[in-house]
Amino acid sequence: MVKPTRSKGTTSRRDFVKLAAAGAAGAAAGPWISRNAQAKPAQITLMRESCYVKEFDEHFQKVMMPAYEKETGIKINYEIQAAGGAAVARAIAIAESKAPVDLCWPQQEWLFREALLDVSDIAEAVGKQQGGWYEEIKRLSHWEGKWKSVPFGNIGQVMAYRRDWFDEAGVTKFPDNWDEFYEAGVKLKAKGHPYGMSMGHGWADNNSWLLPLLWSYGAEIVAKDGKTIHLDSAESARAVDYARKLYKGACIEDCVGWGDPANNKAFLTSQISCTNNASSILLSAKRDLPEMGKVTDEALNPKGPKGRFHSLVPVTHCIYSHTPDPQATKDFLSWMMAPKQVSAWYASGFMYFAPFLHAYDKSPEWNKEPRFKPFQQALETGKLWLWPAPADRRAGQVINTWIVADMFSKACLGASTKTVIADAMKGLKQIYGQA
Amino acid sequence: MSPTAEVARPATQAAPGLRSLRPGFRPGEWVERESVFSWLMLTPPLLFLVAFLGYPFVYGVYLSFFERQVASAAHFVGMRNFANLWADPVFWQAAGNTVKFTVASCALKMVGGLGMALVMNQNFRLKSLTRALLLLPFIVPTVLSTVAWQWILDPGMGLFNRLLVVSGLATTGPSWLGNPTLAMVSIIIVNTWRGLPFFGISILSGLQTIPMELHESATIDGAGTWARFRHVTLPLLLPVIFIVTTFSIIFTFFDFQLVYVLTGGGPANSTHLMATYAYALSMGSGQMGLGSAAALAMVPVLGLVLVALTFYVRKD
Repeated sequence: MVKPTRSKGTTSRRDFVKLAAAGAAGAAAGPWISRNAQAKPAQITLMRESCYVKEFDEHFQKVMMPAYEKETGIKINYEIQAAGGAAVARAIAIAESKAPVDLCWPQQEWLFREALLDVSDIAEAVGKQQGGWYEEIKRLSHWEGKWKSVPFGNIGQVMAYRRDWFDEAGVTKFPDNWDEFYEAGVKLKAKGHPYGMSMGHGWADNNSWLLPLLWSYGAEIVAKDGKTIHLDSAESARAVDYARKLYKGACIEDCVGWGDPANNKAFLTSQISCTNNASSILLSAKRDLPEMGKVTDEALNPKGPKGRFHSLVPVTHCIYSHTPDPQATKDFLSWMMAPKQVSAWYASGFMYFAPFLHAYDKSPEWNKEPRFKPFQQALETGKLWLWPAPADRRAGQVINTWIVADMFSKACLGASTKTVIADAMKGLKQIYGQA
Repeated sequence: MSPTAEVARPATQAAPGLRSLRPGFRPGEWVERESVFSWLMLTPPLLFLVAFLGYPFVYGVYLSFFERQVASAAHFVGMRNFANLWADPVFWQAAGNTVKFTVASCALKMVGGLGMALVMNQNFRLKSLTRALLLLPFIVPTVLSTVAWQWILDPGMGLFNRLLVVSGLATTGPSWLGNPTLAMVSIIIVNTWRGLPFFGISILSGLQTIPMELHESATIDGAGTWARFRHVTLPLLLPVIFIVTTFSIIFTFFDFQLVYVLTGGGPANSTHLMATYAYALSMGSGQMGLGSAAALAMVPVLGLVLVALTFYVRKD
């Protein structure tokens, strides 16, 4: 049998089958390639601490999350932690285990900056667009030439007090300095209305008056160089002596052991006349105890020989380096911090988180409740924990092992000033590697 | 043979084929062998323990010799973490607190649990309901019940101080959580309250195994209630009491939730336990190596308790 000859340029059946198969595969793969070129995550997970102002959380869950999903098709998974320090441990655990959480607001990012993504582009754009950032917060978020977080707001800590009881005691204007504050406290305690100044193992309400007290007496814990420990000074001793005098003369005995929620409870059950707190006391009183809400007021911290200070309790947004889709997570963070979203979000929490952006300094939201003004004003004199030392990991360790709070509480419980400062120095030296 | 007949052939006829492949092997008999069966039973819990106890423990031991910050590389430091702890007054305070807390709580739980069991062993109306209710402290999640205790111990509004004031015993109650001594007393009270049912129910089960005949013989011999308790009940209960106390020492020594919620270790570290301090160092301030060393420092005590337990069990 003669084999059929094939002229050049013709296609055999075998070639045709090959071509057809390749064409079909290409046609089938086309949409797949296209889909993957524009792949986006099905969801993004944000972890944060619950807010004392429930409207703030509700706004995020009911307004912002659905809006983002509608706009982009990406579902936002909101992992909420109980307020009071649990979120810090969770943020650390996420950084260690690379758990599927894309971004968080940790409050203490200095403990794990190495696990965070550079978000300089977002922070700089947001700052430029909305009046610029407060200087002090840059010391936290801007680290070694990069923005490791995008600042959000400060949980302002000022003095919450019962105006009616202060009036009854003849103190018609909130004390302007620590000495006046002590004298007023003695009068109030004599009338059965002691102060409740937290000194226990909490994270905010203790440091928020103890650190400003130290600073206002001219003391500092660690110098600006982040190496020299300065706590052992005459100024620190004067601050410790003052705290002891205030505790014995003006405070409820219990406050030396209080964590963060305890002073809210004591104030709202009329056991104390004054404490240092965020706006949660005023907000709760207005909402749940209207009569108390009318006579509760807020004031700036008293000043000392070296001026008036406040302690920042900053909240920022960080993106974990292990997020599977950095750009998608960054897009979400940019969207959250855009004026349209973020201004409504701040307002939903009644400015509980005082914005670190100057565009909001004169926001009409502050005028809705004049008693909130001190929380905005506190930003001007607000300092990060362990100021003027760098806001680094060691500063976090000092705060989280309660070295400063314990120094004051031990003094209030009877230890000598020299002893408590020496004890605190031991802890500081261990952390700063000078033991 | 028809196809139907082929399908209908009994399974026993197919077996010779298998036997020819592995002569003498019977899976059923193999599993029945004690050495095989016991390993089959042991393997799942052993794997579970290796994964969730062995691995974290070994990793903890490893970390304790390193300086290891969160999300950073580890640097070998030898015994430096232990040396730092040795020189750390807070660590020694926490260690002392842990011993005080454990000894006082376990003693109270043992005595109280024995009393509870003796009462529960009597016949009275609503006995079953009472037994069930007594288990409540053990059943309620610790964090929940501790929050309730925060209110009970509140200086102004708390139940304890209200009772003191209303009964006229005091004009104002003490500061349960503000005074260092009372704060320690408070955490012991709460731990005892929570742990009593474990003792009570365990000892009750031991009580119910004591034959009535022994009590009857002792009564005939003229033994009174105290003598019967002293010479019959207590000696026979001792094994149960020993085991329950040993377990309780372990649980109490490692207690974390109660103190974390109630005092956070304050005031001025007066209620800091080794577990809360290790947590503060590692998860609070990100010093994984130092925190692991602090956690590991609890192991020798646990080891001693386990050795005592092993000896006791072998002796029996």
